[in-house]
Amino acid sequence: MSDQRPDFHAALKSLEETTLSMADKVEGMVAMAIRSLVNSDKTLVSQVIADDDVVDEIYMEIRSRWMNIMARQQPMGRDLRMMAAILEMNNTLERMGDQSVNIARIAGLTAGLPREETILAKLQEMGDLLKPMIRTAIDAFGRRDADECLLLPAMDVPVDVLNRSMWKHVVACGNDPQLLEWATRMILVSRALERVGDQAVDIGEQVAFLLTGDHQEFLRFHDYDAD
Amino acid sequence: MSTRMELASTVVEDAVSPGPSAGLAGSAGSSAIFEIQDLNVYYRDFHAVTDTSLNIYQNEITALIGPSGCGKSTVLRCLNRMNDLIDGARVEGRVTYHGIDLYGSSVDPVEVRRRVGMVFQKPNPFPKSIYENIVFGPRVAGWKGNFDDLVEETLVRAALWDEVKDKLENSAFDLSGGQQQRLCIARAIATSPDVVLMDEPCSALDPIATYRIETLMRELKKQYTIVVVTHNMQQAARVSDRTAFFSVDVGEEGQRTGRLVEYDMTDRVFTAPSMKETEDYITGRFG
Repeated sequence: MSDQRPDFHAALKSLEETTLSMADKVEGMVAMAIRSLVNSDKTLVSQVIADDDVVDEIYMEIRSRWMNIMARQQPMGRDLRMMAAILEMNNTLERMGDQSVNIARIAGLTAGLPREETILAKLQEMGDLLKPMIRTAIDAFGRRDADECLLLPAMDVPVDVLNRSMWKHVVACGNDPQLLEWATRMILVSRALERVGDQAVDIGEQVAFLLTGDHQEFLRFHDYDAD
Repeated sequence: MSTRMELASTVVEDAVSPGPSAGLAGSAGSSAIFEIQDLNVYYRDFHAVTDTSLNIYQNEITALIGPSGCGKSTVLRCLNRMNDLIDGARVEGRVTYHGIDLYGSSVDPVEVRRRVGMVFQKPNPFPKSIYENIVFGPRVAGWKGNFDDLVEETLVRAALWDEVKDKLENSAFDLSGGQQQRLCIARAIATSPDVVLMDEPCSALDPIATYRIETLMRELKKQYTIVVVTHNMQQAARVSDRTAFFSVDVGEEGQRTGRLVEYDMTDRVFTAPSMKETEDYITGRFG
């Protein structure tokens, strides 16, 4: 079989590679944001914010190239599904980058405040759970691996459980105003991490669509919770 | 128009209504106007199309796509027995039209072509006036009615009336290519067919004329069933409800035989086809 549209397919492949490089960058940002929080590291805070500018540039570049390919090439079949998946992933990755910035900014704002180790450990645990999730989502896309993307909803469950349990740890911080300020901000961090988990599952759904052509929503925590 | 028709000089009393559409996903609610079963077409020793089975549904636009030589035009021509006009052509299998065997011995091919009109790749108006192009077919068929009304009604339906109403006596050759093609569509529907076959109807037209024909096709399908052969996949994707993809098998001695690969709703064929061969074709990975 020969490729009758080599220029188009080269442009599509290049767009996919750019999306993967954006995903790698975002993966690093999430990890860095958590480290900046746990270690109260303002250098890392600045690095996350700087990386987000890079991600935003890649986001705009992907959108521009995407439009160009659609206008010029009118892809069909799996090429069309790839284009749809890339557009969705581009949006999702950009938002994951934004969540990392949210976390890093809170890390910067709370750097001088007293901390509660249990909460910090829970957030660290959420970060540890997210790391393989994000990698799984990226690899599932890069390898076109349907089995891998199907792992994501179950991987997301403990992240959601930790997020839901966060409030009671915050309440337990008592009446110390400074600790309470820190702790309430950690609810926002927890929420941001929970969203990152959802977004990794979103990527998995895009991979499933890419591979099957069927739009599907994976079961989420609230679906399990209803049982 | 009655669905129990007189294709032959004698009324076909035993014609049966087509049953449930033959095993095609998404066909619920539509009735099959043509049922093609195990169609094989030969031009003398040349086996042009092999073992094709598909249904064409009423008031839909069905697109036949595929590479050159895949037999899509041959299949199209089987639907109004145009292949009969080709020396050495032989059709095997069964093609029914409203349940009637189109190739039955009592069926009159001329009547078939009145009910199943055709528009060709290159606009081919008669060397007559615009008016005469419209009335020619009905007049030959012995139609008794008001020709002026027929001309207006037909040209309105073909979205050409406003452009030609003041020059009906002008030669059809004075029209632009796109207008000539719409005139040919008008001529095809002047004999009150219920199916219009279109063989690459826009390949000789510019994009604006193509757009007008496509708009017209969508309008016409409310009254007619349309089957269109096109090389332009974007056109098939834009206008059709269902798409049949044909491919070519090349034999050891280089003989090329067309084969139906996939037939499904157009949305499906161009986004997530079932067959890899279809996917490879629509994404340009073939040859």
